[in-house]
Amino acid sequence: MYAKVRQSPDWVILWATLVLLSIGVVMVHSASSVLSQQKFGDAFYYAKRQVLWAALGVGLMWWMSRVDYHRLRAWAPYLAGASFLLLTVVLVPGVGVNRNGSQAWLGVGPFGIQPSEFAKLALVVFLAHYLADAGERVQSLTRGFLPPLMMALTAVGLIMLEPDLGQSVVIVGATVILLFAAGARVGHLLGLAGTGAVAFAVLVAMAPYRMARITSFLNPWQDPLGSGYQVIQSLYALGSGGLLGLGLGHSRQKYLYLPEPQTDFVYAILGEELGFLGAAAVLTLFAVLVWRGFRTAALAPDEFGTLLAAGITGILAVQVLVNVGVVTGSIPATGVTLPFLSYGGSSLTLMLTGVGILLNISRQARGVG
Amino acid sequence: MRVTRGMMRRRVVLLLFCLLGAIGGLIGRLAYIQVLQAPWLQGRAHRLWSRQIPLQPVRGSILDAEGHVLVYTATAPSVIVIPAQVKDKEKTARQLADVLRMPYDKVLALVRKRTLMVYVSPGGRRIRDEQLAAIRRLNLPGVYITEEGKRAYPYGALAAQVLGVTGADNQGLTGVEKQYDRQLRGQPGSITFFANAKGERMPGVGEDYVPPVDGEDVELTINAAIQQFVEREIERAVAVYHPDHVTAIVEDPQTGAILAMANYPSFNPADWQAYPQETYNRNLAIWQTFEPGSTFKVITLSAALQEGKVNLNDRFYDPGYYEVAGRRIRCWKAGGHGSQSFLNVVENSCNPGFIALGERLGKTALFQYIKAFGFGQKTGIDLPGEGNGILFPLNRVGPLELATTSFGQGVSVTPIQQVMAIGAVANGGLLMKPHVVQAFLDHDTGRVVGRVQPTVVRRVISEQTAAEVRSALESVVAQGSGGNAYLDGYRVAGKTGTAQVAKNGRYEPNHYIVSFIGMAPADHPRLVAYVAVDHPRPKDNVVFGGTIAAPIVGNILRDSLTYLGVPKRAGGIPKKVRWGDVVMVQVPDFVGMTIGDAQRTAIESGAQLRTQVLGTGKYVVAQSPQSGTKVPAGSVIRLYLGNTPVVDNGVRKQ
Repeated sequence: MYAKVRQSPDWVILWATLVLLSIGVVMVHSASSVLSQQKFGDAFYYAKRQVLWAALGVGLMWWMSRVDYHRLRAWAPYLAGASFLLLTVVLVPGVGVNRNGSQAWLGVGPFGIQPSEFAKLALVVFLAHYLADAGERVQSLTRGFLPPLMMALTAVGLIMLEPDLGQSVVIVGATVILLFAAGARVGHLLGLAGTGAVAFAVLVAMAPYRMARITSFLNPWQDPLGSGYQVIQSLYALGSGGLLGLGLGHSRQKYLYLPEPQTDFVYAILGEELGFLGAAAVLTLFAVLVWRGFRTAALAPDEFGTLLAAGITGILAVQVLVNVGVVTGSIPATGVTLPFLSYGGSSLTLMLTGVGILLNISRQARGVG
Repeated sequence: MRVTRGMMRRRVVLLLFCLLGAIGGLIGRLAYIQVLQAPWLQGRAHRLWSRQIPLQPVRGSILDAEGHVLVYTATAPSVIVIPAQVKDKEKTARQLADVLRMPYDKVLALVRKRTLMVYVSPGGRRIRDEQLAAIRRLNLPGVYITEEGKRAYPYGALAAQVLGVTGADNQGLTGVEKQYDRQLRGQPGSITFFANAKGERMPGVGEDYVPPVDGEDVELTINAAIQQFVEREIERAVAVYHPDHVTAIVEDPQTGAILAMANYPSFNPADWQAYPQETYNRNLAIWQTFEPGSTFKVITLSAALQEGKVNLNDRFYDPGYYEVAGRRIRCWKAGGHGSQSFLNVVENSCNPGFIALGERLGKTALFQYIKAFGFGQKTGIDLPGEGNGILFPLNRVGPLELATTSFGQGVSVTPIQQVMAIGAVANGGLLMKPHVVQAFLDHDTGRVVGRVQPTVVRRVISEQTAAEVRSALESVVAQGSGGNAYLDGYRVAGKTGTAQVAKNGRYEPNHYIVSFIGMAPADHPRLVAYVAVDHPRPKDNVVFGGTIAAPIVGNILRDSLTYLGVPKRAGGIPKKVRWGDVVMVQVPDFVGMTIGDAQRTAIESGAQLRTQVLGTGKYVVAQSPQSGTKVPAGSVIRLYLGNTPVVDNGVRKQ
């Protein structure tokens, strides 16, 4: 169909990813050493596993960068079907594993996989495939706009049964980005936002405590030992770091003050040890990735490539914004991992897989301009 | 709008800028937290991480004027609990409550407390040896023994009300312990370290050690030897007279230093909780206010001499009363002292004579002197709980109030005010501010780090007037009512006082406060000593300052002057009354009086007649010797009782 222009991948994406990955492995070790020594008698418990996952993820990335992304169009319906199946199975009591109050894992012990992480990427592939075919139909409410939205909301509904608010937010964000990039009417998107706002208002009217919970992030010191605890501990970490940081390995908040410091709050420990300069540098690397990701989308040889690259980059961008937003107390607490830095096998391998796809699209880019 | 590649590309670029803008916003937020908010967050985080173990300083000792240790801190074992280490809270609380005799609920609450460390107060503070052994035997996890300071008193109860007591946290509660708590307490130190969220020490972070600074030693002006003389005399007086209260003060008039201060009842400071609150919490010598009686006449005399209203050689006739505003105020001596010099007025403590002096001064001048001598306001002694005393407000002083004030009735004063006022006479007319502390010493080296300088409050009378008053008071001791304080060669000067105690606006029958205030040697006084005995109950029924309080002051002055090595003087006024040269007095007519009236008359006669009662009944029917007979002062008069009142001629009284 298309002339395969074999050229080098976007090296900036590759290097930025590898640098972030390396920082991630180091920070997971630093942040988790106290906790894992306490829990498992092994300071390297999480670090060793993270290295294994990173190696697996880099392998998947290399592989995907060499598989023509157009072949994903054929896989797309199966990927979507598989993710709905997994999202349903994980809810079955006794099959799914409940950790921290969320029935989100399949498999045994620490090597469980998270169906929602898989569904996120699979959904982006399927929606890119669907919208690339839809063309002008995307501007029709019933035949182009609502079907992909309904599919995404069905997945969100299943995920909210676990429940996992963070993954739901990311999926909604990525879907909106895809719909916008595909050319959906701005009026439809505003209508979606309005409907969301009304639904939210109804939910709040039904139970006012929800509003209190959401606004509590504005002043976490109202309840420093309860809902505000994590955010306050996170801010203590960032504040202690100051401009230059306490130095790698010298975090104090990792001494059991900040719960689960290797996952959702690894960025707080990074800010404490490496200071504002280190934390801002990491955000800058993510900004570079977002830039190169959308550049890849703009230069992709076809609509599917554009939408796929925009969707994958959208997942990455939304996760960075939500995670750092929570860690800095800028938005209400939502559990989302920071790509490449947080501990977690599913998150890491699937994100690297996504980067692999991105690299393949960049290899087929049309000439710059 | 048509969906074209161009439109998709524009939208992708738009998305890129939106997301980059959001990331830029997060970097700004990060800068706010990590740079602007950082100092505040760091302060809070430090408080979160740091754990402080307090280190208690040693409380300073209290020494007497010669360096003898009156109070020091000895360490004693106390029970502390680290709640995080106590697994079985109920069992631990029950066993501790048992040994320490504390309520179970209270111990349980302590053991459950979410703190680093807790003292098991009050039962577990400074425990006894057998409790210590029991706690050790229980061997409870999380329960520890620490050494805590406990006040020890090498001189026992000596000067207890001056020293005061300390509470469970070594804080001064009364007396010098409270007044100088800041100096005695010292500065607590601490060990600060960083801990993880479970309270375990964070590795790799140094600890901060601030050593405690021990409290300063406080050196009193109290002289342990003189204090012992005083307390011995109080004990004797209590044994003989069974009074309600006794107060005694010895002062150095030249500096205002208090050399001794004691009261009965007192208490044992090592076991102060066992005493009633008013005993350990009140120092009667500075707190109690009462009518001074005749000792106050010294003030009237000083004022009159200073103002030139009297010459001690002037004559005065006392008919036994003085008429003021149409009322007759009687002299304490029935029948009066007759014609006498004003020096005799002082010697005899003659009330009409002093009323006359008060009238000559007028109320404005008299009250001006009373206030100048320090009455009606606190002396400012460095002890807590001083009383003010009460004076008539000047606008409410009529002739009657002026008259009673001039001989010491209708005013209310504290013992320390009287001592300082007479001290001014002893000190050539300069009123001093009293103090019980003279220096502060470094606890370890004993080096003086601070000294209390004598403070002159004001000049009240001239040096010449003061000398004249002293001479008159020496004469009171040598030739007048204060004879029992006479010491051969020490030239004691002084004044007696006998005041009836008013309760609910009426004078209580038979309730007197007898006092004596003396100084020696009269030419250059080294000591002022004061004793007041509240409600003495002597066997021989005579309640009079000259017989009860004067000898006590005499004994205190003799022992103290000897101890201080003050040489005996020549040139004093010789004692007038010697053996074989006794004062003869006329026996009053008691027949027909009730027994109570008769005894009071015998006391008021001024001749210190004692009575011996024979027979039973309410009325005196006969007496021996007969009325009008001259007998030596202090003789025994026999009173024969019957149930029918009679008069001399045998006619029944209606």
